[in-house]
Order: sequence, then structure tokens, then C-alpha cells
Amino acid sequence: MIEVSHLTKKYGDKRGVDNISFKINEGEIVGFLGPNGAGKTTTMNIITGYLSATSGVAKVADIDVLEDPIAAKKHIGYLPEHPPLYLDMKVSEYLDFVYELKRADTPNRNDHISEICELVGISEVYNRVCKNLSKGYRQRVGLAQALIGNPEVLILDEPTVGLDPRQIVEIRNVIKELGKRRTIILSTHILSEVEQICERVLVIDKGIIIADDTPEDLAAHVSGEHKLAVRIAGPQRNIIQTLRSIDGIRQVTPLANREKDAFDFLVESHPKIDVRKPMFNALAKAGYPLLMVRPHDMSLEDIFISLTENEPAHDDLKGV
Amino acid sequence: MLAVFKRDLRSYFTSPLGYVFIAAFLAVLNAYFYINNILRASSDVASLFGFIRFVLIFTTPILTMRLFSEEFKQRTDQMLFTSPNSVFGIVFGKFISALAVFTVVIIFTLLYLVIIAAYGQPNVKQVIANYIAIYCVAAAFISIGLFISSLTENQLISAILSLAIFLGLYLLDYSGIGMNNRIINNFLYAISMFRRYENISRGVLAISDLVYYVSVASVFLFITTRVIEKKRWS
Repeated sequence: MIEVSHLTKKYGDKRGVDNISFKINEGEIVGFLGPNGAGKTTTMNIITGYLSATSGVAKVADIDVLEDPIAAKKHIGYLPEHPPLYLDMKVSEYLDFVYELKRADTPNRNDHISEICELVGISEVYNRVCKNLSKGYRQRVGLAQALIGNPEVLILDEPTVGLDPRQIVEIRNVIKELGKRRTIILSTHILSEVEQICERVLVIDKGIIIADDTPEDLAAHVSGEHKLAVRIAGPQRNIIQTLRSIDGIRQVTPLANREKDAFDFLVESHPKIDVRKPMFNALAKAGYPLLMVRPHDMSLEDIFISLTENEPAHDDLKGV
Repeated sequence: MLAVFKRDLRSYFTSPLGYVFIAAFLAVLNAYFYINNILRASSDVASLFGFIRFVLIFTTPILTMRLFSEEFKQRTDQMLFTSPNSVFGIVFGKFISALAVFTVVIIFTLLYLVIIAAYGQPNVKQVIANYIAIYCVAAAFISIGLFISSLTENQLISAILSLAIFLGLYLLDYSGIGMNNRIINNFLYAISMFRRYENISRGVLAISDLVYYVSVASVFLFITTRVIEKKRWS
């Protein structure tokens, strides 16, 4: 459905996107994961035809975006990073305008628009002026705008930014629902978002795709070393000694003192050894109650560090 | 194109901008009509239209300053230019929306003709010639303003720059006077936005003059389209 090959975008001497290629099949929900400035928005802007690539080809529904932009754009619904609302218009007027602008072709305009409003939850602000809407509602109106005309491809640039936690859950569910019948690319820098919504992840950093995988495999791939965050009651020094004596534990790092008479530690173990049982037994024997054990969250930074460390080949490529 | 036209036209009247433009334009025109036609009991419309052309220098920037600047600032251009429409279609939609607001002013000027007709004999051919011509002039002015607006996301800069250019074009007419050089004078005449109008004022509606104004409008609409397309490549 979407095919990108050898796409490069230069801003002066700087490369915003550097020779990236990927293919997205019909019906896939793909997450673009990367830190700010990694090239996510640039890639999306090129696919939607807002920017032109310095070299390379982007195709949507087998149509080259550069060669036949109007035909290609008909297949795309785009929610940019900043929702493109006309602040002086009412939501109703705005959606009407978008309907005409996109030359949407649905049997009944009003039914189509009210269906979308229902779906993204903006029916109650339908008659309000965009200027007076909160960030969360503006984001939803932006999403509604992308859905008008039932495009087969949805491109969503950080769709959950600025929403409150309850809205985030709602919008994620909406996106999942939409993904049953559509091809979706969404960008985010939140790891858990990708895990929840996407079937496939493209990790992009400094304009290069550094991983293309399912979220599960990606997590397994990067968590080569097991890290546990633990909270144990007792004297800090003795606990560290006890932990270090356990087979399989490589390193113990004291973190903080969040509870009275208890300390938090970061325990790193060998990848193939599960240290939880021996750790529990050893601590019980020593008389230090184990208050908490949880897997240490891999942050996006950790993933980048581990991905770039694991694949030094990319560094070589960058030099070329 | 039609969607853009409708939205822009409506936004002129949901903000004070359209009203300010029309009110300012008509206030000045009314004063001129009162002094020139009523007090002097004259049925001459040529100088009235000549004056409209002069007022356009100051009012066109109000009309065109936000056309693209506002889109860039609010980032709504991302939606416009990722919609299945040609860039020229969008540019043209904006152009005719501004021309439509100008038309409102023109409709009000019909009142002057009613007044003149009630007390005297307006020269019908001259009136029609002037209406056609003033439209062509307005189209040229608006397209230049639209072009300036596509260069910046700041409305104020867009307005001031347009005003400076219009005044510059106006002064260009007088810059050749001191020089007794036929070639320069002919050249200045050829590119002048204003001196051409003097023929039309006299009732001589030469096709070449109309072609000149329409060409200016077309060229600037074309350049505006190119400027926007070029933004994608930078």
C-alpha cells in the first residue's frame, strides 16, 4: 500500500532523512518510533506530498506521490503534528469545508460527518468555534479531518500528544478500530503506545531506520540483559553483599531510598538466568524482606543505545 | 478551488477584515464623489474611477495580507497542500475570494451612477469601459498582494511590503519626468500600472491595455504557485 524506496531529504547539508526504504502492506498498523528530530515528520510529509524528497520515490496505492500527486493524495488522510484547524471556524463549518476540499465522495455528507464525530468523540463540540477548544479536542478534530472521505491510508503524526490519560486510551482504541479496515502509519516517541497499537515498528534515528520488527520481537531483541528494579528492607550495605553473592547477578546498583528503612536497587543479571527465585531465597535467609520486584522499563533511550551498539555496521555506513 | 474560495470569502466576513476593507474604501470614495461630482455638479465618472485605482494602493494590502500568511502561521497549509487539489487551484481560489470582496465595493459604486443618472446624463460607454478596466486593475493589484503574502507568515510584513511595492509602482510613473529620454519614458510607460489607465479614463478601451493588466495578474498568480511549489523542495 505504501512503498518508500531510497528516500533522502536534505536540508542544506543536513540530511533529515537518509536513504530509507520500507514497504507497508494493506491493513497494517505501523508505528514510527524515534526521538524528536529523528526524521519521522519529514518522512510523513514526503509520503503525503507536502514536502518533496531530494531523491528517492514514495508510492501510495502504487501511485508515485510526485508524479501524480492529486491521485495519490486522494488515498491519504493526514493528521499533521499540529492539527490544521481554522481557528475562526466552527467545528461543523470546518468539517464541511474539509469535505469539499477533499472532494469526498460519500453517499450522504451529513451522515458521513456525524459518523466520524461520533467515532472520535467530538459530537458535543460540533457547534463550537475551534478557537475555544482545548488541546485535546483540537487534536480530535484534527483526527476527524483526516478521516473525512474514508481514505484507505491514514498517516498520523503523534496523534496522542496533548491528550489526557483517559483520552489517550480512547484515541488508541479508535485507532485500533480504524486499523481493521485501513493502513495506518503513526509516529510517536512513546514506546508503550507502539506496543499497544501497532503490529510492526520502524525505529528511526538520525534519519536512518535502525530496526523494523514487531513490538514483541523488538522488546526481546533489545532486552538482552535482564534488569530488575527491586525494593528491599534492611541495611543497604548488607543487602548489596547478599545480592552480589547470588549466582547470575552481574551488577547491583543502589538507586534510592523511597521508603523508610528500605532501599531500591537495580539488579542486572545474565540474560539466560532467572535470578528471581534465588534472590528471594537468599534474601529470606538473610532476613531482608523483599518488598517489590519489577522488570526495569526499557526507555526509548535504552533501545536506541542497545540498537546502535548491537549494529555497528550502521556506524560504518554513516561514514560513507 | 471552490472550497477554498468559499472558505476564504467567509473568513473575510467572520473577521473584521472584510468590513474594514469595504468601509474604508467606501468612506474615501464617498468623500471623493461628494466633492468631485456633487459639489461640482459633474457627471464625469472617469476621475472617480481614476481615484478608485489610487485608493487600491492603500486598501489592497488589507485584502491580501493574510491570504497565505495566515495559512502558514496556523499551519493549515499542511492540510491544503496535502488535499487532492492542484496548487494553482488553491491559489486561484484565494485570488477570486479577494476579488469577490472588491466586487462588493464595486456594487456600492452603482449608487453613484444612480445619483448621476437622476440629475444628469452619464456616458454609458465610458462607464462600462471604466468598470471593465477597474476590474482588470484590481486583479493585477490583488495578484501582486497574494504573491507577497505567499512569501511570509507574518501578516504585517505582508501588508507593509505590498503597500511599499504599490507605492513604488505609483512613483515609477513620475520618475521619468525629469529625464528627457524617450526610450526610458517609453519603457516606464510600458510597465506602468497607472499611466495606462489614463487612456481608459478618456474612454479609449484599448485591448492592449487590458491585456497588460490581465498579464500582470496571470504572471503573479503563476509565480505564487511556483513559490509555493518551491517551498516543498527547500
